[in-house]
Amino acid sequence: MDVTLGLLNGGDDEDGGGVPSDGSTTNRSILTGSKEDNNNNNMVVMSSEVTSSSYPVVGDESLDGLELGLGLGIGGGGGGGGLKSKMVASGGGWNQYARILTAKDFPTSLVSKQNSCSSSSSVNIPNNSSSSGTKRTATDSVSPPNGTSVVGWPPVSKAHRMPSLASQVKSPTENFVSKPEQNKSKNRTVGIKDYSDERNGISNKKYRSVKVNMDGTLIGRKVDLNAHTSYEMLAQTLHEMFFSRWSSTEAVKPSRLLDGTSEFVLTYEDKDGDCMLVGDVPWEMFLSSVKRLRIIKNSDSIELAPRFEENNQRHRD
Amino acid sequence: MNPHRKRAKTVDRVDSADSALVSSESTQMRPFPSKPLSVDRVKSVESSESGRMRPFKDKILFVDRVDSVESSESSRTSQFSDKISGFDRADSVEARVDSAGSTRMSRFPDEVLERVLALVDSHKDRSAVSLVCKEWYNAERWSRRHVFIGNCYSVSPEIVAARFPRIRSVTLKGKPRFSDFNLVPEDWGADVQPWLSVFSTAYPFLEELRLKRMAVTDESLEFLAKKFHGFKALSLLSCDGFSTDGLKAIATHCKNLTELDIQENGIDDLGGHWLSCFPDSLTSLEILNFASLNSEVSFDALEKLVSRCKSLRVLKVNRNISLDQLQKLLSHCPQLMELGTGTFMQELISGPVTEFKNMFSNCRNLITLSGLWDATPLYLPVIYPACARLTFLNLSYATLRSDELSNLLSHCKSLRRLWLLDTVGDKGLEAVGSCCPLLEELRVFPADPFDQEILLGVTESGFVSVSRGCPKLRYVLYFCRQMTNAAVATIAQNCPDFTHFRLCIMNPGQPDYLTKEPMDEAFGAIVKTCTKLQRLAISGLLTDRTFEYIGKYAKNLETLSVAFAGSSDLGMEYVLQGCQKLRKLEIRDCPFGNAALLSGLTKYESMRSLWMSACNVTMNACRVLAKERPRLNVEVMRDEEGGDDSQANKVYVYRTVAGPRKDAPPFVLTL
Repeated sequence: MDVTLGLLNGGDDEDGGGVPSDGSTTNRSILTGSKEDNNNNNMVVMSSEVTSSSYPVVGDESLDGLELGLGLGIGGGGGGGGLKSKMVASGGGWNQYARILTAKDFPTSLVSKQNSCSSSSSVNIPNNSSSSGTKRTATDSVSPPNGTSVVGWPPVSKAHRMPSLASQVKSPTENFVSKPEQNKSKNRTVGIKDYSDERNGISNKKYRSVKVNMDGTLIGRKVDLNAHTSYEMLAQTLHEMFFSRWSSTEAVKPSRLLDGTSEFVLTYEDKDGDCMLVGDVPWEMFLSSVKRLRIIKNSDSIELAPRFEENNQRHRD
Repeated sequence: MNPHRKRAKTVDRVDSADSALVSSESTQMRPFPSKPLSVDRVKSVESSESGRMRPFKDKILFVDRVDSVESSESSRTSQFSDKISGFDRADSVEARVDSAGSTRMSRFPDEVLERVLALVDSHKDRSAVSLVCKEWYNAERWSRRHVFIGNCYSVSPEIVAARFPRIRSVTLKGKPRFSDFNLVPEDWGADVQPWLSVFSTAYPFLEELRLKRMAVTDESLEFLAKKFHGFKALSLLSCDGFSTDGLKAIATHCKNLTELDIQENGIDDLGGHWLSCFPDSLTSLEILNFASLNSEVSFDALEKLVSRCKSLRVLKVNRNISLDQLQKLLSHCPQLMELGTGTFMQELISGPVTEFKNMFSNCRNLITLSGLWDATPLYLPVIYPACARLTFLNLSYATLRSDELSNLLSHCKSLRRLWLLDTVGDKGLEAVGSCCPLLEELRVFPADPFDQEILLGVTESGFVSVSRGCPKLRYVLYFCRQMTNAAVATIAQNCPDFTHFRLCIMNPGQPDYLTKEPMDEAFGAIVKTCTKLQRLAISGLLTDRTFEYIGKYAKNLETLSVAFAGSSDLGMEYVLQGCQKLRKLEIRDCPFGNAALLSGLTKYESMRSLWMSACNVTMNACRVLAKERPRLNVEVMRDEEGGDDSQANKVYVYRTVAGPRKDAPPFVLTL
């Protein structure tokens, strides 16, 4: 069965800042379960880190208990252990990140567990390091490692989350809040038509931010697409965002993001929820169909479809 | 009778009451009645939701003869003579209207008293007035035009309508403040419609409605627009549930609209067509603020609207308005006092400064400037001509660096209020300290609050620089990533007049980064030195010592926000015992448990509300509290997943005369 899941938290606003979600909510993206794989419950749910018990870890070998992978991105299953270590390493201070819960073929629909997504929060006072390597069921609340951020912290109100107005944009796919009292059944989103191409002449009139997540990095960023005029510019920006801070042994040049020769591949999720390689279509067409960006490891994405299957293979054991 | 004789005055604490109310100690007056009038010790919430619960120990109201007021009042007759209504300290006496009132002194005609009281604006004073005696209670209720309701569930609209028959203006606040940070689930409540329904019959002439953190639907807005024919002013701050369709209804039907102020709302922005719905006949607009709306409005409609509304004094446009559009707008309304610009840069540069440099030269009344999105060094000089007169500059959407800010501020000598992004850094704050000696309010927002890798922003040294240069600082909101006890102590010494001190060290539980000690002494210094402190928000690594200081020294504290702080129940107990004037207490993620909660048993009725989330409170303690205090609503919000049912993860306690909520959603449990 394929499932499209979104993860909900109490918050309703998307916002900017460098993170896909603000301090309050989880990553509210939906990851479309691979449609071609209907033979597993490769359901991916992202939940926020809120509560204070120790957190689960992906282990491939265990069958009992839900195992949770860490990190963002579709390839989360495969990168579970590795991602976790990366997260702990970079988790100095507190940060907002999301977890992927990967449900195996479990009878319990652990996917719908949003126990740790409630807007309640508690956090480990920094210097507590939670133990790693313990497996828990999804019903256990997950605990953040050293001083991670929680819902609603820091207490910055909606108006002052940068970029200020772009943060109020949410794509419809990310909105799962059903509001029964709204009899018009409109989503609480800014209409995407507001960002139609009719105004692309004067770019400063419209601003369009999409989230960018990189495999292995817990914090996503946002990039204003309208501020870029070409793929090269975009790649440059992303390079600065994600790679310039590393003591980069990778030495990834910006252009290499686009041509598949670097370790990372830039992909995007389009209006239909499909994961596409960036660079195939003309820039304007790309602008009109992109919903979010993802930088994935090259090894994980020889082709996109087989990647899912690989994961499925692993989890099926 | 000598109506015009002079009186020797000793004016006791009359607060902001009108000057007509003066004390009279003149020897020519008749002696006070031997049995002073007095006021019952206030227990009931009813008369003073918006004011204080406890009797006005410190207030003395003496009303002399009315001839000092409204001398044209023709109904003044010999009834007045030399009467005094004097009211002794209200602490320990009880009211007996008939005995002291009618037999010993002749009363003012009620209309006169109402005329006098009509001049009293402060709702706290009005509450005090209403406690004096039954006559005054009635006079006050008939003369009141504006009611402020700080918690929409503390009173029901029916009660309000029954008590105040002649309201023209209502201010309503709904959700707890932590709903701004997504700690309150959606559909929690605070729906404005029940209020509007009652008001439509009780106050058909309602003119102003100001809502904060209420749930507002388009249907409600339409209802408002259609049912209230004289409606003038709508202000929506941090409300949610409506869309621009609701604004269309307001624009279309409110023929006398003077104010439309939309801020920070969770709004469905379906397009900018609402602005075009203002009819051509509408010329009364004075305040228009749509800065927080995303979509583009018709500039043509906006320009025409601005041109024909000659009384427009506040205009805040959204980011889509370009610089040359702004210039055109300003040419139509040079009388503006407050301006929020649109985007402050142009793509096509063709001599920007020369083109726009006269934009502000005609705006002689401009004292507030905001917006300034995307402002760059190239375009900022455009505002220099207006800077000298500015008292409030909101740069919280402009990512300025220190040098840009410095250049700008050198022109802004009159600034009283300044909002910044922390991109300006400590150097930018040095400029603040050196350029703005009159500064009273500073807010520094984080440009990137959720990115923990950023090491930029402001630190303790920026704050200290400001405090050195701006001794008049009263209000500070400061987001930073590091702070020291010594710095805060210095700041307190430099600026002893703080009334609002909100310090957010963004990493929860972070100690003094130099000494590694808790930040207890920092806040200790603040509360010891700043005796006028009304509002405090604390952060960093804090033990119970902080709360001990707060309880001991912060005697004027009214609002306290606590997160990730404290070591034991004692912390909260200190505060509840020590802070006499505490009205709002909001706590999250602290180790306070049942003992702490119950230590405030007798206090919560004198407060507006208490919020505790992610603490160690159990349901049983909440039940005890609810049982002991039937006039409190003790509400517990359930997590979606249950978890441990005995833990009360989110507790919201508030006083009320309206009983338990009738519209509570399933996840809110009223005990």
